Amino acid sequence: MIGSTTRAKARRDAPGLAGVPSRRRSRLSRLAGQSLPYVALLPALVTFVLLLGYPVLLVIEMSLQHIGLRELISGATTWVGLDNFAAILADRQFVAVTIRTFVFMAVNVALTVVLGTLVALLLDRIARIPRLILSAAMVLAWAMPALTGSVVFQWLFDSKLGVVNWALSSVGIFGSWLNHSWFDTGLSTFGIITLLIVWQAIPFVAFSLYGGILAIPHELTEAAKVDGASDRQVFRHVILPGLRPLLMMLAFLSIIWDFKVFTQVFTIRQGGPDGQTITLSIFAYITGLSQSRFGIAAAVSVVMVVLLLLVLIPYIRRMLRTQEDV
Amino acid sequence: MPGTTRARRWLLNGVALLAALVFAFPVYWMFVTAFKPADQIQTYVPVFLPSPTLDNFIKAINVPHFTDFLRNSLLIAGTTLGLALVVGFLTAVTLARAKVRGRKGFLLLVAIAQMAPFEALLIPFFLVMRDTGLYNQMPSLVIVYFIFTLPFTIWSLRGFIAGIPVDLEESAMVDGCSRLGAFVRVTLPLLGPGLVATAIFCFITAWNEYFYAFVFMTDVQNYTLPVWLASFRTNFGTDWGATMAASTLFTLPVLVFFLAVQGRMVGGLTTGAVKG
Repeated sequence: MIGSTTRAKARRDAPGLAGVPSRRRSRLSRLAGQSLPYVALLPALVTFVLLLGYPVLLVIEMSLQHIGLRELISGATTWVGLDNFAAILADRQFVAVTIRTFVFMAVNVALTVVLGTLVALLLDRIARIPRLILSAAMVLAWAMPALTGSVVFQWLFDSKLGVVNWALSSVGIFGSWLNHSWFDTGLSTFGIITLLIVWQAIPFVAFSLYGGILAIPHELTEAAKVDGASDRQVFRHVILPGLRPLLMMLAFLSIIWDFKVFTQVFTIRQGGPDGQTITLSIFAYITGLSQSRFGIAAAVSVVMVVLLLLVLIPYIRRMLRTQEDV
Repeated sequence: MPGTTRARRWLLNGVALLAALVFAFPVYWMFVTAFKPADQIQTYVPVFLPSPTLDNFIKAINVPHFTDFLRNSLLIAGTTLGLALVVGFLTAVTLARAKVRGRKGFLLLVAIAQMAPFEALLIPFFLVMRDTGLYNQMPSLVIVYFIFTLPFTIWSLRGFIAGIPVDLEESAMVDGCSRLGAFVRVTLPLLGPGLVATAIFCFITAWNEYFYAFVFMTDVQNYTLPVWLASFRTNFGTDWGATMAASTLFTLPVLVFFLAVQGRMVGGLTTGAVKG
């Protein structure tokens, strides 16, 4: 079998071990054997370099050009240098949307990580049956497609027949929520979107952290307790340090997800009311696809990625450092 | 002291059950509304245990083009899964078993591809699809979803293959198996669960995707299920029963698949950073 070279074969082919039955044949087969793995990697390489690399280069190129509908049809390109970037940075709506996106992302990530940690700690302390029930409930929320979540939440918070308005009114102390519309103001709409995103994001964070807590040796927490540490001290000085790399990773992932999330934000009110829930990814979509200002939209996309990278730099550096420690 | 710890334990268990209610309720409410007759939906005081009917499902299925949407979604998700699995498997086997120069560099490339912000690549992808005439055609989505899922597929399969000791294959070869025979007879069967989990992840990703499907598919008959579902107001007006029935139909396969593999996903997602 000339097929794939393997660690085993490579070991056998190592100098000194190689048997030499027929020098010519073995050289030929070795050549084929050596090139085959590279052939096998080719499809993936082409996918990443061409299919993914080309759009990446294209978005940078487009951000430096003026491309409207006319240019799109005629195929003429006008290079405008950094004009698109200057235009969006001078655009008051773009600046407002950027700030809004950051605040939105920060709130979502903070809520997801903090509540996820609390649920993980809860999972660690409760009896078996409640733990199974909570886990099953979280798997349901986790498995829900983002889009279905958005549709179902609109039904839950419907002003006339929504179950939430009924429940709030029934409790009594909050007064009557009859016909209360949750999507009249930007803040309230954002509240629902955040609720939806955090509801779906907690299970993954909580399960991961719970796994992390289980991996912390039992002796450590026991020893701390024997030494008279309170629950809070055990958490601060034993559990939290043990979870730090995992927490870092989860915060990192949440930042990436929540910064560029489109589906939930867009499908709830298409950026409404009055454009008050437009975030950067929706802004890029509207500028490009609805207004056909492709150059500007490309510039927005580039800025979006650069901002995301800037936010993530401290995380990437700290993660690299912790990996060196290990 | 024992009294307070017991009270605290009860409290924590209570909080856990309350949390479970919060997590499960929206899913429960979707199911329950889907099975309600219209008069049990049109009431201000909600009905929690309805007298079930399939009317809403019949209404949802009879929407014009429903079979088109279903076929498109299945076809696109299925093709994506097939492509990602074939290319991903080839790559993963090579990376895990063969001695290749530049393996580290390749893995870095996979990691970078995995972090690529697809939301920021909509504009160039749109242009490429428009120029190649693939815009508003199903292959445009297959290509994007394939690029989208390939990094995770490679990452995940490589992990599963690396977890199977080479020694097993070697001993099969000592017993007279060929290199390929050993792989097919020994490693492949052990790889089964990993392959299924990875395949399901690819399928769910493509099945759930909304953003690109919404932008790329302009003709109604080319819509996928998410695009159709998102415009429920134009489809069903304020008919929440039919809307929830449609949501249920769309969610059910995901739920079933997800339950089958969720145990595997937790570790897999954190070890190889994945995007959502």
